[in-house]
Amino acid sequence: MRGAGVDSSQARITADRVGKWFGEVIAVNNCTLAVGTGVVGLLGANGAGKSTLFKMLAGLIEPSHGAVRVFGRRLRQDVGWYRRVGFCPESDALPDWMTGREFLTLMLRLMGFDKAETNRRVEFWLERFELTDAAGRRLGGYSKGMRQKVKLAQAMAHDPDVIFLDEPLNGMDPVSRKQSIDLVRELGQQGRTILVSSHILPEVESMTSEIILIDRGRVLAEGSVAEIRDKIPEHPTTVALVSSSPRALAGFLIGREHVVGVQVDQENRVVVSTDHAVAFYRALPGWLLGNGLVVDEIVTLDDSLEAVFQYLTER
Amino acid sequence: MKAAADAVSPSVDDARPEGSLKAAAWLAWFSLREMARRRRLVALVLMNLVPVLVVAAIRIWFPGSGITPHMVLSALTHEVFMPFLIPIVAMSVGVPAIGEQVEDGTIVFTWTRPVRRRAIYLGRLLAAQIVSALVLSLSLVLCFLIMLSAGPQVLTWEFLKLYLQSFAIIGLGAFAYAALFAALGTHFRKPVVPAIVFWFGWENLVSNIPARVQELSLRFHLQNLVARPESAPADLPGLLSALLTTAFHRDPVPKAQSVAVLVAVTLAATVLGMWLLRRKEIAR
Repeated sequence: MRGAGVDSSQARITADRVGKWFGEVIAVNNCTLAVGTGVVGLLGANGAGKSTLFKMLAGLIEPSHGAVRVFGRRLRQDVGWYRRVGFCPESDALPDWMTGREFLTLMLRLMGFDKAETNRRVEFWLERFELTDAAGRRLGGYSKGMRQKVKLAQAMAHDPDVIFLDEPLNGMDPVSRKQSIDLVRELGQQGRTILVSSHILPEVESMTSEIILIDRGRVLAEGSVAEIRDKIPEHPTTVALVSSSPRALAGFLIGREHVVGVQVDQENRVVVSTDHAVAFYRALPGWLLGNGLVVDEIVTLDDSLEAVFQYLTER
Repeated sequence: MKAAADAVSPSVDDARPEGSLKAAAWLAWFSLREMARRRRLVALVLMNLVPVLVVAAIRIWFPGSGITPHMVLSALTHEVFMPFLIPIVAMSVGVPAIGEQVEDGTIVFTWTRPVRRRAIYLGRLLAAQIVSALVLSLSLVLCFLIMLSAGPQVLTWEFLKLYLQSFAIIGLGAFAYAALFAALGTHFRKPVVPAIVFWFGWENLVSNIPARVQELSLRFHLQNLVARPESAPADLPGLLSALLTTAFHRDPVPKAQSVAVLVAVTLAATVLGMWLLRRKEIAR
């Protein structure tokens, strides 16, 4: 099962009514989620609680209540399962005294690889992230983008099935960012589970349409952007229809089922507000054919991740 | 991706953690290299040259004054290494050994490996203990070489026995103090103050309280293992005389008891530290 909001029996990552508070501050409140294969974005504004949730999922902090599981296991107890898990932290902290090659070597050795296999993987991932030339330099001298690549490399070098990436593109230049996005998508297509945390919506949008939205410590929604968009009835979906006879089309659509508003904008497009986008799209071809109307192009104006995020968080 | 995908993980279906000893050995090896590259190690080595300078000064300025190498070594071990150098070195290396990694967040990289936290703790602690012992031993070796420069007549059996004993006792002390300070560093977010309070307050105060109270300090047990410095000749200058005499009265206990206490403290502090690390959560 792919994506977020899957049946928990088939999910690789699950959280069951998980909460975490630090003193009197509630960082995460009663979160329940299930993540299958593919790339899933964990979205939330700064301070929404996504980093805390992320660390709980990765077994780095213990929930105050509820349980998190990866492969049905609690990583904090069953540390052997980290063989199948990769983690890229948000923090920029690295052991600065080590060289890039030494760091990756240690990380792979602790995974149990022998010397030859470790060396092979280290060289492969250094090359994959274009760090071969800098491999002998200390991490303390690396740029922020290079440090980010090393963190990604250590999270992926042992071929894990589940990868947690916390703000993975921070500080990367545009080319590296593109390469990393392509890599994440590629790994997702291979059937791995990649949970990407970010507060930058276009970043996540470029990797996946499967998301978990978190705000003020609570999971607001999980699933595909389109599915979530359809579940927000108080904000009708806005669709622009490009037609050679916009006024006739607008007149026809007024009062139709699931149509809550119609207007013609400055570009002569018919802008329709619908309370059920899927039903509207299903009915539209029949309406057009039955009434001799023509639509050249359909553009959904507000089912972007940003719109969904704004509606759900009321920002 | 091809190369990585082709590679067969030797243990991808094996959910057992890595062997703790093997993982601890790997971490100790890398941690040793890390600690050896730190600038604070240079400061520690320089500080440990103080006894060397004292021995050199005695060798140069008081060559025939009746101060035997045995007397000097005994005094240095008893009054310089045990109350000052061992705790300072162990504190400087032990306190940050684990706590610093938790505080700066770099420990997540080892926490997300199939390695038990006790192995992570053991690896880091072992490195801190070895570094502490090596720094202190270096000083002792240099002292020995300077003493030896007086001629082969200094190589008496008594002197050699004391020298080897000093090595062992300094190692024992470094291991015990480092274990204690590492546990403190793991528990406290700002561990330097409690560490200084322990060393300067508890150890100084308790080890000088007569009767059995003094047995509650590590310093007492370390000093109990070395014969007290011989009294200095009456014609020595005041400062040197003061160095070579023991100011406070001590009631000795059997040496085996002191060794047992030091080993027990090392083990207890190590177990405590492992337990603390297991419960620890990453802050950053």
